[in-house]
Amino acid sequence: MASRTALVTILLAATCLLGGVHLRAQAHLDSLLDGNSLEDLWIHVNARDWEDLHTHFQENTYYPADVEWRGIRVRNAAIRVRGVASRNGHKPSFRIDFNRYVTGQTFFGLDALTLDSSWQDPSMITNRLSMLIFRRMGIAAPRVAHVRLFAGAGRDYVGVYAATEEVTESFLRARFGEDTGYLYEFNHLKDDNWGFQDPGPRLGWYVPRFSPKTHEFESVANLYMPIRDLVQRINEAPPSDLESRLGGYLDLNGVITMLAIQNFTAQSDGLVGGVGLNNFYLYRFVGKNLSVLIPWDQGNSFGSFESGFNPPPWWNMDTNVLASKIWNEPKYRARYLAALLQVADLVSGDALLLTEAQRDYQQIREAVYADAFSPYPLAQFERAHATIQQFIHTRPAEVRQFVASLTQ
Amino acid sequence: MKSCPTRVVFTWASAIAIALWGAVPPAHGQVKLTFDKRPVIEVGNLLTAGIRFKSQVDFREFPDEPDTPSKPLLDLHRTRIGVEGRVIKEFEYQIEAELADSSEPWRDVYIQTRSFRLLQVRAGQFKIPFSLEQLTSGMDLDFNYRSLAAAFLAPGRDVGVMMFGRAINEAFRYQVGAFRRGGDNVRESERTDAQADRTYAARLVVRPGNAFDNLFRTFSAGVAFTTGVLPAGPNGVRGHTVPGDAFFQHLYVDGHRRRIGGEFQWRPGPVQLQGEYIEVRDQRFGQGIDNEDLPNAYARGWYASGTWLLTGEQKRDSVEPARPLLRGGIGAIEIGVRRERLAAWSPGANDGSFSSPRAPWVMPIADDVWTGGVNWYWNDYVKLQANVIHERRTGNGGVMAGQGDLWSETFRVQLGF
Repeated sequence: MASRTALVTILLAATCLLGGVHLRAQAHLDSLLDGNSLEDLWIHVNARDWEDLHTHFQENTYYPADVEWRGIRVRNAAIRVRGVASRNGHKPSFRIDFNRYVTGQTFFGLDALTLDSSWQDPSMITNRLSMLIFRRMGIAAPRVAHVRLFAGAGRDYVGVYAATEEVTESFLRARFGEDTGYLYEFNHLKDDNWGFQDPGPRLGWYVPRFSPKTHEFESVANLYMPIRDLVQRINEAPPSDLESRLGGYLDLNGVITMLAIQNFTAQSDGLVGGVGLNNFYLYRFVGKNLSVLIPWDQGNSFGSFESGFNPPPWWNMDTNVLASKIWNEPKYRARYLAALLQVADLVSGDALLLTEAQRDYQQIREAVYADAFSPYPLAQFERAHATIQQFIHTRPAEVRQFVASLTQ
Repeated sequence: MKSCPTRVVFTWASAIAIALWGAVPPAHGQVKLTFDKRPVIEVGNLLTAGIRFKSQVDFREFPDEPDTPSKPLLDLHRTRIGVEGRVIKEFEYQIEAELADSSEPWRDVYIQTRSFRLLQVRAGQFKIPFSLEQLTSGMDLDFNYRSLAAAFLAPGRDVGVMMFGRAINEAFRYQVGAFRRGGDNVRESERTDAQADRTYAARLVVRPGNAFDNLFRTFSAGVAFTTGVLPAGPNGVRGHTVPGDAFFQHLYVDGHRRRIGGEFQWRPGPVQLQGEYIEVRDQRFGQGIDNEDLPNAYARGWYASGTWLLTGEQKRDSVEPARPLLRGGIGAIEIGVRRERLAAWSPGANDGSFSSPRAPWVMPIADDVWTGGVNWYWNDYVKLQANVIHERRTGNGGVMAGQGDLWSETFRVQLGF
């Protein structure tokens, strides 16, 4: 009996200890990604590797690195350049993989962290604001916060970056409570303009477009037949019967909400951007056919507004098979418009987004001014922020007006 | 324009052959085709050209291991065609290409002197003189695969010049050479890196009983050494498992690579005992995360093997059945067993950085392998080989998860002349 009591006590203590460690890690991570403060991140990397990262920025070669934050140094991480259109050798964006060299290693619970140089976003805050809206609207979306990045043995300041939790197993665990399903990153191919049109039965068509991030070594059939089935269902489903035909295969309400958010924020490179589908992950739950879409890299939202691009909130709905069916079927259109109004209320209510935008601006301004690698003149940084704040001021009313004009 | 070593060698070999052709008239001018073990064309005293063909088809069953790509059951392991012979009486040559390798098809492409056995000179692309088993033709291996040490720690082929010879009734054999880079057993990046510098190699083999007609007449022992400059980068020595998956981390290195090796072989009648030890040391100057010098990285491999020709033939490099199959006999049957180990480590204490390719301390890892095999030589041209292989991989003294008891089966059909 005494031994059983001792065992229970040990198990309880171990549970508390492990739980405590997890909670501490979570608290640490929250303070890095909640955006309440501008954190300093130090990448320890060999000088030759740092040079290679800039010289060979088109390659996806990983280099070993240690990551130090608040005096805590996580070793054996790996860093590479990331990005597609924004890839550059002047101020590259990076991906840091914490379990490439050490299986199961995390950075306070994160498998990977993205450091985005905001190469195409002079304000540097559009992705963070967009992701904030997604999360507030109930869509699983990564957290984004700004950091001052230092690199090399000499701790050289290399600029302001947006630290983004990557969509990996740790993200899935935190959002869905599981990480053993099938996760794919969508790759937009040049001149593809694909919007869920049925490409035919050949599974090879899907291979370059959907990169598996889990189950990477499974057969092409295992990986891609479910995606092909989903695309075929989207194409074959009559608009009036979309929900029941896609039920159990795609989180339709989630897609409607994503479309509404992206069109509210004038995102020009999302699900219905001008170049077809882009910037999302697809996750299929373990043991199910059900998939969800997860937004990624919303850096082209808000900023498009600066160039006078002010699309109506049903922009491009006809270029995508699924969006078109949603738009053309009254009951789904109603859901879409309701989601638009919900976003408008969220953005204007308590001046949520404006407060965040102003705080971000104050938080990073000094660091941006000291950033010798910033690709934009400081005047453009200031102008971009003014434009975004103006957008946040005016967009809710515009959207309400659009919706009202449709429903009258 | 970047020059291709094999192209340079081929061009020079062709130029020399043409020059000799023009300089020396054929003794009788006649062209003769013979077929002893292989087709041979003879052009008087000017030239002989023996056609060589090597084919190996493998059927493999490797263990399913997570996070490794599955391997096809069928593997066209080797399909080579070549020509070898002599030019006038003074030179020998060999040209061989792998038909399945479209990017770098050339294997041995060299010419060598032949008249003065104490000092011969070879130039072209050929194997750097290191490791008995690496220098053994792939058609004459006792097991389907070379030992991991010979396959991954020996340098392989490169373009260079070598002096070699034998002395005192062949009691001593030596090879000394200088090579353009580090051999084709290094990583692709190192092969093409302009910073790669020359590698120097030397090998000495002694046969102390060669002059006597006793049981130890065939005993030989040797040592070998290479040294060369390493290009900075992830060019640490590579190591793979038996199924061919990466086993060593590709460490970042800068400095010199040094190899030392020891070998022995004894063939008393139908039995052969053979073993080797190879150690590779890579320097890592300035390769730390914070640009600091790192301790040297080491890789070590050894094997010991024994074979027995049950049908009683004398064991030689190429086994010739006394009674070939379908010619009144069953061919030659040989059994064998090999024990080997491939390991990597660095000195120092575990500082928590063991898994990075710039880690100061490299976690010691080892692959311990047993191979048992049966060889069936039908005749001089056909050989069947079946192997059962057991692997046990350890890291930091403990068995790696799921890698303590891995079985592979391989079967090879070999045809060559």
